[in-house]
Amino acid sequence: MEVILHNLLLGFQTAFEPINLFWVTLGGILGTIIGMLPGLGPATGVAVLLPMTYAMGPTGALITMCGVYYGAMFGGSRSSILINTPGDGAAIAATFDGYPMAMNGRAEAALAISAIASFIGGMISVIFMIFLATPVARFALKFGPAEYFLLMLMAIAMTSSMSKGNVIKGFLSMFLGLAVAMVGLDPQSGVNRFTFGSLELQSGIDFLTVIIAIYALGEVFKCFKDIREGKKKMQTKFGKIWITKEDWKRTWKPILRSTPLGFIIGALPGAGGTMASLMAYNNEKQLSKNPEEFGKGEIIGLAAPEAANNASSVGALIPMLSLGIPGSGTTAVMMGALLMLGLQPGPMLFQNHPDIAWGLIASMVVGNIILAIINIPMAGALVRVLAIPPKILYPIILGLAFIGTYAISNSVIDFYIMIVFGVVGFFMEKAKIPSAPFILAIIVGNMMEISFRQALLISDGSWGIFVGSPIAAILLALTVASVVLPFIKGHKFFNRKKATIAK
Amino acid sequence: MGPDYGDIDTPYKCGVNQVNMNQWTGLISTAFGIVYAIMSYTLPDASIGNPMEPKIFPLMLGIGVTICGILLIINESKKKSTAQEIKKERGKGLSHDSKLIIYTCVVAFIYALLFERIGYVLSTIIFMNAMLFVLNGKQKWKTNLIVSMTFSITIYLVFLKLLAIPLPMIPFLQI
Repeated sequence: MEVILHNLLLGFQTAFEPINLFWVTLGGILGTIIGMLPGLGPATGVAVLLPMTYAMGPTGALITMCGVYYGAMFGGSRSSILINTPGDGAAIAATFDGYPMAMNGRAEAALAISAIASFIGGMISVIFMIFLATPVARFALKFGPAEYFLLMLMAIAMTSSMSKGNVIKGFLSMFLGLAVAMVGLDPQSGVNRFTFGSLELQSGIDFLTVIIAIYALGEVFKCFKDIREGKKKMQTKFGKIWITKEDWKRTWKPILRSTPLGFIIGALPGAGGTMASLMAYNNEKQLSKNPEEFGKGEIIGLAAPEAANNASSVGALIPMLSLGIPGSGTTAVMMGALLMLGLQPGPMLFQNHPDIAWGLIASMVVGNIILAIINIPMAGALVRVLAIPPKILYPIILGLAFIGTYAISNSVIDFYIMIVFGVVGFFMEKAKIPSAPFILAIIVGNMMEISFRQALLISDGSWGIFVGSPIAAILLALTVASVVLPFIKGHKFFNRKKATIAK
Repeated sequence: MGPDYGDIDTPYKCGVNQVNMNQWTGLISTAFGIVYAIMSYTLPDASIGNPMEPKIFPLMLGIGVTICGILLIINESKKKSTAQEIKKERGKGLSHDSKLIIYTCVVAFIYALLFERIGYVLSTIIFMNAMLFVLNGKQKWKTNLIVSMTFSITIYLVFLKLLAIPLPMIPFLQI
């Protein structure tokens, strides 16, 4: 316990250095701007701005990324409320009651409550995380290669099976991602795999390039469809952005209820912010005395999903930081950022680099506070970005994406790889193949194979090692369950869920 | 990498031939999986240790992709027999956004070709203008020029001064 507090204090010292405060604010503002763009969410924000942190050193870079991450989440709900266009999936629930509130002339209260709920949700979850991160990491230290392999398999399998729409496509996406991860020189045997004689491909396809391609290029391609619609009308002049006492009395309980819910869902691999916020919304609707008010500008219907959304974004960092396994597209991108800095997330991170692990947690607290400050008084100024036509902003995002890949590799070859994967990402979207399992698989692919081979080496080629220990057996059972369950009853369950949400 | 191009063809053909998107996805995936598995199997043997070692994992992936592809096809044909699939994919020819995407890819390709030859600032101004002229319109050429020039010069300076990452310079002038 004392150790945790001591480490946390050290983390705060780092986070409160003026330069780091500057970075987190800058990251927060840029993240908010990207998050506000329709269709672009935290994953895109982090992916596009990631290379800018290349020269900052690990602590500064992580703090900036935290700012971007939070900023994009705050930004996503701004556009949900004001123009009824969610920045990303997790902000969808904010359109249900946020936009009607703005239409009823309560835009100020909507903007304020969404920031307040996000802030409270984020803060409480960070406290949960402070106490959970170390025990989880310590538990994972007991894992051998077989358990590690199964853990990674389970994480991607759960993400795949929870993908909206089609489970088979989720797994297809996972296998394709793993297949791409195999490209390059096999470090253990020296065999060139799938390089087609190309020297550039020997070092493998950089996952950062793929991430930027899918999340920046692919998302912009997707937005081309709507680019002709023109500007949406929105309110640009605001009164005082704050809520009334009455609002607070009604919302504080839903916020506190939705926070742990969001946190737990976030910590499960694959579930993520969209599911957390939709579940919180449904939950509050069922608990409410007048559920018919939901969808017409009920403030609880905005506060609950916003709290759950931010709580889940913190929860999602637990498996990533303490196990080294990202549970969502966005945390996969964050993990990409850590790997780029030469840090391997996982149980050893807390042992070998406590300053960085705890610095990150502390900067989440600081980021949350700064984002709340930016987003409440300055919301009126920031949302003006929404008035800049996307026709100008999308080329800028493209420009940033290209220069970003160049900054990482210093090679133009990655431009071509990026174009290819940008198009692949777009067509995956068209074929309704989810991109998150693909990204996850590319990031953990090599580690997965290494663990797999180590396990077989230990067992002398016997596959029994994958059920050899109780932990391994449980993990395998969970993996199988996550594959089989959706086929048995998951479809019906989710269909009903969707139906209730649609109402 | 090669077989990945298969994915690119799918929906395009789908738009033209009005064939069910899921069936195409299934077919292409199956083909990709089989090719991938065969390629994995024919990889050179490892010179040390178990010669099969570098092949097992990719082989499993190839089989996995194939199984997913076949399942998709089966699923789709089942659906067809119960209820006629409504074919409302897209109209004839390429839609506006497909054209824009192809245009973007071509412009990006030229950008990549020019990048190291004429330097970051010039190639980026050309790239941004090419994009802005199509997206934002020719009438607003002044805005386009200002945005593209400000963007590329700012980024160049930020990278050079703040991040200490030198970008390709304009030849002869060396700036």
